[in-house]
Amino acid sequence: MDDRELVLRAKSGDARAFTTLVRRHERSLYATAYAITRSQWDAADAVQDALADAYASLRTLRDPDRFAAWVSRIVINRCNGLLRRRGRVLPMEEPPEPQAFVWDGPEDGLDLMRAIQALSPDHREVIALRYFRDMKVADIAELLGCPAGTVKSRINRALAALEAALGRHSEQEVPR
Amino acid sequence: MNCSDVRDALEAYIADDLTDAEQAKLAAHLAGCDECTAAYERTRAVVADLKGIADAFVPRERFVPRPAYAPRPAGGWGWRIVAVAASVVALLAMSALTVPALARQLPLPLTREIDALEEENESLQQQVDELSVRLETVGGEEVAIVDSAPGDLPPEVNAAVQLLAMDFIRAQYAGDLDALAAMGTERLKADIAARPQDYLRPVGAEIVFAQMTEAAVTEDGTYLVFVRLSDSVEWTDSQYQENFEIKLINGVYLVDFMGMDA
Repeated sequence: MDDRELVLRAKSGDARAFTTLVRRHERSLYATAYAITRSQWDAADAVQDALADAYASLRTLRDPDRFAAWVSRIVINRCNGLLRRRGRVLPMEEPPEPQAFVWDGPEDGLDLMRAIQALSPDHREVIALRYFRDMKVADIAELLGCPAGTVKSRINRALAALEAALGRHSEQEVPR
Repeated sequence: MNCSDVRDALEAYIADDLTDAEQAKLAAHLAGCDECTAAYERTRAVVADLKGIADAFVPRERFVPRPAYAPRPAGGWGWRIVAVAASVVALLAMSALTVPALARQLPLPLTREIDALEEENESLQQQVDELSVRLETVGGEEVAIVDSAPGDLPPEVNAAVQLLAMDFIRAQYAGDLDALAAMGTERLKADIAARPQDYLRPVGAEIVFAQMTEAAVTEDGTYLVFVRLSDSVEWTDSQYQENFEIKLINGVYLVDFMGMDA
């Protein structure tokens, strides 16, 4: 069953349909929130709150095909709210292995996540939306309210920074 | 296409977002440029790794939607009579504040949805403005009573129905399944026995009764009352609603159905 069908069912009061949607999206939403907030606890809070918001306001979602982008927006919004509240500083030292999540990825995947978390907020956001939430550049631009060109250049710069952080940078500068 | 153009378009090329013509040009450049090919390989590897961790975070705590109140299909107990009351009670405490506030926090352009939402809320707000809400003491608690149901019931009936709902909620927070069953019809007793967890609330939590409707009666003689409340443990940041259907059986008011609503 696709998202559209599940959204329609959930809107008519089928809580199980909403649960199915949540299970389908929650991992990439947690990855997104963890990349942006840099705190597993904040990420867990942001996603839980966002899903509660989504459940409560599902009826306001006019286009059932847009659920993925819509719920991403709510998560981003919650993450930014948390970041604003804590003044963009880490509230506590993060344990080396996340405890709010079970890690079900490749061995060096957490290194990549840490490299993402070391990026600027704008870059963390576009990387998470593009690769975790699998969004089109145009949709990210719409969500963030900025031109597609800005999103593209942020993605390019973020990818270059990740390559450098992972020791995969080129031997010489790009000729311009 | 020079090297700089190619580097700018690599990500879109990897994501298959280019037009066929652009793709062909870029591929042609890569075929003749070792540096850009190396850059392509690096970017492709990072992108693959990123996609590989998208689903790697499995939350330990799973989100579970709270059971929404689902009206029973059969029985025709005239839910519509008080549907306005229900939506208004929910609206007073929640929708009018939460939904537009949520929408306004969202970055543009969600304008279409926000406009529709605000319009909807404005019309609901008008309905709210037309209602009277007054503070009354029910079961020793001061509660905002929403005067929304058509056809006023005799005061003693209204008081009995409201008090039963309040006592029921207190028993829920006392974890007292026997007391709950004693306040219920046979149908409710069976439901409590089958799904006790649906009726239990955090034991010992302080209950904050926010709002309550006046009791209403349906065509088949079922009394309806909706209560909005929060508590000091689980529902600290928001309220929820319990919807009651109450029947008068052999001179005793008994809860026939209780559903939770957001």
